[in-house]
Amino acid sequence: MIQLIHVSKQYDQRPALSDVTLEIGKGEFVLLMGPSGAGKSTLLRMLIRAERPDEGQIFVHQKNVTTLKPSDIPYLRRKVGTVFQDFRLLPKKSVFENVALPLLVQGISSADIRRKVTEALRAVGVEHKRDQLPAGLSTGEQQRVCIARAIVNGPVVLLADEPTGNLDPALTAEIIELFKLINARGTTVVVATHDPLVMAQVNRRVLTLSQGRLLPEHRGLA
Amino acid sequence: MRTLSYLLRESWVNMRTNRTTTMVAILTTAFTLACVGIFLLLYVNLRAAAGWLQDDIKIMVYLDDRLGSDSVAEVEQQLRGDRAVASLLFISKEQALGEFKAQFPSESHLLEGLGQNPLPASFVVALSPSFRSPDAVKRWAERVRQVAGVSKVDYNQDWIDALATVIRSIELVAIGIGVILSAAAVTIIANTIRLTLFARRDEIAILRLIGATTSFIRIPYLLEGAVLGALGSALSLVMLKFMYELFRQQMRTTGRFAGLENLMTFFPPSICLALIAVGLGLGFAGSFVSIRRFGEAKA
Repeated sequence: MIQLIHVSKQYDQRPALSDVTLEIGKGEFVLLMGPSGAGKSTLLRMLIRAERPDEGQIFVHQKNVTTLKPSDIPYLRRKVGTVFQDFRLLPKKSVFENVALPLLVQGISSADIRRKVTEALRAVGVEHKRDQLPAGLSTGEQQRVCIARAIVNGPVVLLADEPTGNLDPALTAEIIELFKLINARGTTVVVATHDPLVMAQVNRRVLTLSQGRLLPEHRGLA
Repeated sequence: MRTLSYLLRESWVNMRTNRTTTMVAILTTAFTLACVGIFLLLYVNLRAAAGWLQDDIKIMVYLDDRLGSDSVAEVEQQLRGDRAVASLLFISKEQALGEFKAQFPSESHLLEGLGQNPLPASFVVALSPSFRSPDAVKRWAERVRQVAGVSKVDYNQDWIDALATVIRSIELVAIGIGVILSAAAVTIIANTIRLTLFARRDEIAILRLIGATTSFIRIPYLLEGAVLGALGSALSLVMLKFMYELFRQQMRTTGRFAGLENLMTFFPPSICLALIAVGLGLGFAGSFVSIRRFGEAKA
């Protein structure tokens, strides 16, 4: 599903990723660990072509992301759901409208949008908040809405960049459970985190980055 | 359909959110385009005036005093046979004297002192519409001057030439000012859209990340620019019409240029629509410039 071949990237002569080669299979749940500045966000941003590597090739869902035409980038992003640490919800739009956005940009019919958004909100447990604005939600609820927006399209891959960075341990556990559920439905999930609490809850494959280099693999602790 | 309504709604929301900026943009665009409109209106009216003058042009063909009646008939025949001539009126020496006396009764004693009638016989010629352009009139007059028995050909050429020069100058000024002020209108709208883009940069970034195409992101801003331009243009026409009516009213009350106010014209509906379309185009262009520069909207 995801393949990186000798990928390197530098910012102002400082290496962000150095010769990273890895492969993530369909339906896997992978933790991408490492301290801040290790290159986790750079790697995730490259998977949706928000960044381009200086060297190497990246494949997502059999598409060479590195050579993708600019006009094809939106279509890649429709297959890859993204969850952010700061949620990135539109403050003036309701929960429903925020989650509907990825469907709206694809020109999906109103009836399908209503059905899919309702399903996504139900899956993350915030269906009852559908008409509220993000400001009226708790941080945990905002993160759930962000996850609902990422899965409403039925993406093949879900990328989460520090999804529990703003959450307390109880909420972190809830969000990780949610990711496990989404993964159980067949979506490949990649969670980038520096939070050891997350690793403690997930007995899955762990990729560790340190100063842009990939360290030997191990499994989570749960 | 859903997408279209979303894009229209977003344009409307943009304009409502930045109400003051939107109003300022529409007003400044309107004032800018009204300045262009004043020259355009002046140009349209002067051209129309030139057209009437041209249509009304009468050429005086004066005959040699020594010409006998047979020769006069020959000249008349020659003129009547000319396809450029639409109508012809003969004024004899006696008729010319009579007209002079009627028009200038206090000066008639001047001619009586001469003993004989010094006024020549003449033909008053009106040319066919296709021969009424300044150049055609000039060529025709030069040709008729060569006819035997014709002493002089006279018409208000200087006046027509002067008017044509004024019209050409106004045309150039209108084009120059039009280009400069249109660029100003584009800049005003471009800046307004840039402010909107800046205010919504986070939203644009999110849209990009969830798979919105470049056109999906751009359309609301392009629509907004086009609407600003069209509204600015429409408002400029309202302002111009108001000024035009005020001017006509002034002419009527002061009595200056009596009758001229009825000859003045405003832009016909087709030109009004074309001007609104131009405003729309300028707004679209301004918006496009901003989006290109902003870069955030690029996928």
